[in-house]
Amino acid sequence: MKTFGIAIAVIIVIALGIAAWLLLIPGPIAFASGSTVALSDYTGANPTGVPKELAQADVIKRGEYLAHAADCIACHTAPGAPAYAGGFAFNLPFGTMYSTNITPDKETGIGNYTDQQFLDALHKGVRADGQQLYPAMSYTSYAYMTDADALAIKAYLFTLPAVHAPARENRLSWPFNQRGLMAAWNLFYKSDERFRPNPAQSAEWNRGAYLAEAMGHCGECHTPRNLAYALNNRSKFAGALTAGWRAYNISGDKAAGLGDWTDADLSTYLSTGHADGHGGSAGPMGEATDNSLTFLTPGDIHALVVYLRSVPAQQSDLPHTMETPAPASHREGATAGMDPRGEQVFAGACAACHDWTGVSPTSKYATLTGVRAVNDPSATNVAQTIINGVNRQTAEGTIFMPGFGEAYSDDDIAAVSNYVTTRFGAQGAHLTANDIASLRKQAAQQ
Amino acid sequence: MLRLQINGEERLVGDDVDPKTPLLWVLRDHLSLVGSKFGCGVAQCGACTVHVDGKPVRSCQLTVGNVGAKAVTTIEGIGKTPNGAKIQAAWMEIEVPQCGYCQAGQIMSATALLNSTPSPSDSDIDAAMAGNICRCGTYIRIRQAIKNAAAKSV
Repeated sequence: MKTFGIAIAVIIVIALGIAAWLLLIPGPIAFASGSTVALSDYTGANPTGVPKELAQADVIKRGEYLAHAADCIACHTAPGAPAYAGGFAFNLPFGTMYSTNITPDKETGIGNYTDQQFLDALHKGVRADGQQLYPAMSYTSYAYMTDADALAIKAYLFTLPAVHAPARENRLSWPFNQRGLMAAWNLFYKSDERFRPNPAQSAEWNRGAYLAEAMGHCGECHTPRNLAYALNNRSKFAGALTAGWRAYNISGDKAAGLGDWTDADLSTYLSTGHADGHGGSAGPMGEATDNSLTFLTPGDIHALVVYLRSVPAQQSDLPHTMETPAPASHREGATAGMDPRGEQVFAGACAACHDWTGVSPTSKYATLTGVRAVNDPSATNVAQTIINGVNRQTAEGTIFMPGFGEAYSDDDIAAVSNYVTTRFGAQGAHLTANDIASLRKQAAQQ
Repeated sequence: MLRLQINGEERLVGDDVDPKTPLLWVLRDHLSLVGSKFGCGVAQCGACTVHVDGKPVRSCQLTVGNVGAKAVTTIEGIGKTPNGAKIQAAWMEIEVPQCGYCQAGQIMSATALLNSTPSPSDSDIDAAMAGNICRCGTYIRIRQAIKNAAAKSV
């Protein structure tokens, strides 16, 4: 009987240990060697605030820069609707949630928020009426933001035109529609702790860490989540599927991640959304580029590169990208003998710009060779790009590809996605019409 | 000032033209080369096809700033090339066009096909011509004219 009791006790301890290991996860910058200190005790260059170019700017200009760096607009703007007026749909496994209006409208926006209420929302996920926000608002990341930076963002937001746009009702299933339950989640995942620099790392690293974690919240898409849907930093930046698009592995892994990118390519990609040989950003990363990263100064982009470079390699099941173009003739190459439907769609809709080789004679942005999405055997982002197209406004002009979602059937889109990944990538996909229907649903703004 | 090489001649384009302007607009509105047609504006119809360094390119999607010193051939110049002349003769012989709007693009794509594949099979013709749409449905005559042209010695 006694042995039995001990066995039960051991099992309970092991179970609690496993539960704790699963639920308690390291902080986002815990991977780096050296220990962190409070910002006030840090003697290096200030990693927070605006870059030196804007040091003398007024609070609104500084707030504008920081709002871009934190990419508030991405989630707080619905397609085709006024900026910052909310209504963007998050399609989650437990239902659909909508972002809210953060224009200074007093009735439906944040016009009545005091500084403290704004800080509570950003740092603690508590809104003005005291209710919990869902962590779709990435307060676990913004908690690292300094009060001064958060309030500069507020000052900028308060200069925007007030838009009357009431919040749309979330459609979440039980028990997720019980906001109060977020209190339990917060016990594990809310730190409400400002950014703590790491003196063992360089000033640039610390600036990059602040930009990536407190502001840009890269991990919200690029880090896989655990069972409680919190970011699992044990697999930091290993890539994840978010809203029907794959946010790729941006750890140092040579095959799947950024390990084989040069610093110059990484800088160019972050600041323009394109690097020759790696392709361009589309979908949510296209938005992150155009709404946020292109506004960062070269110094801040460099800091991000330094920081990204330091993130330990995380393996994932992506092959190394294929860097040789396909043959010029449609009859040759890995697609020989495939279902002719994919080739027919490609010939009619795609070959004119993308070429049978994958190297576009029209625009470097249309080259498929070396692009991560094309070298992803799930073809998730290839299919999404075909469905939704690309429409980015950049310094070099508009980067445009039409969306084919309305013109082609799910069968056609599956066939051409499989064809493109087979012909131009390292490993072909095997999508079906059902997969395409599911991808459409996951990314839909409803 | 941009210096373009078009149909074997240097053509100058003034600073009033933004380098982000698609080549098609420059050809039609600034250089009066109106043979290339605007169809869809999104590289889905082929009516604006020109050759850039010998490759068929949709000029509605190629910005003039990206053309640089590359040799551009338009429908106005294609008849001076051996395969272009053969294709145009074959087109007239069996009266391929109906309304004609897409035909400049069809002839440019067909000439590029013969340049790379002197004796194209049906499959080669499909792969090269599928992106050129003809709302009159002259596809059967297009296919025949390409075969006729291929059968003629230069």
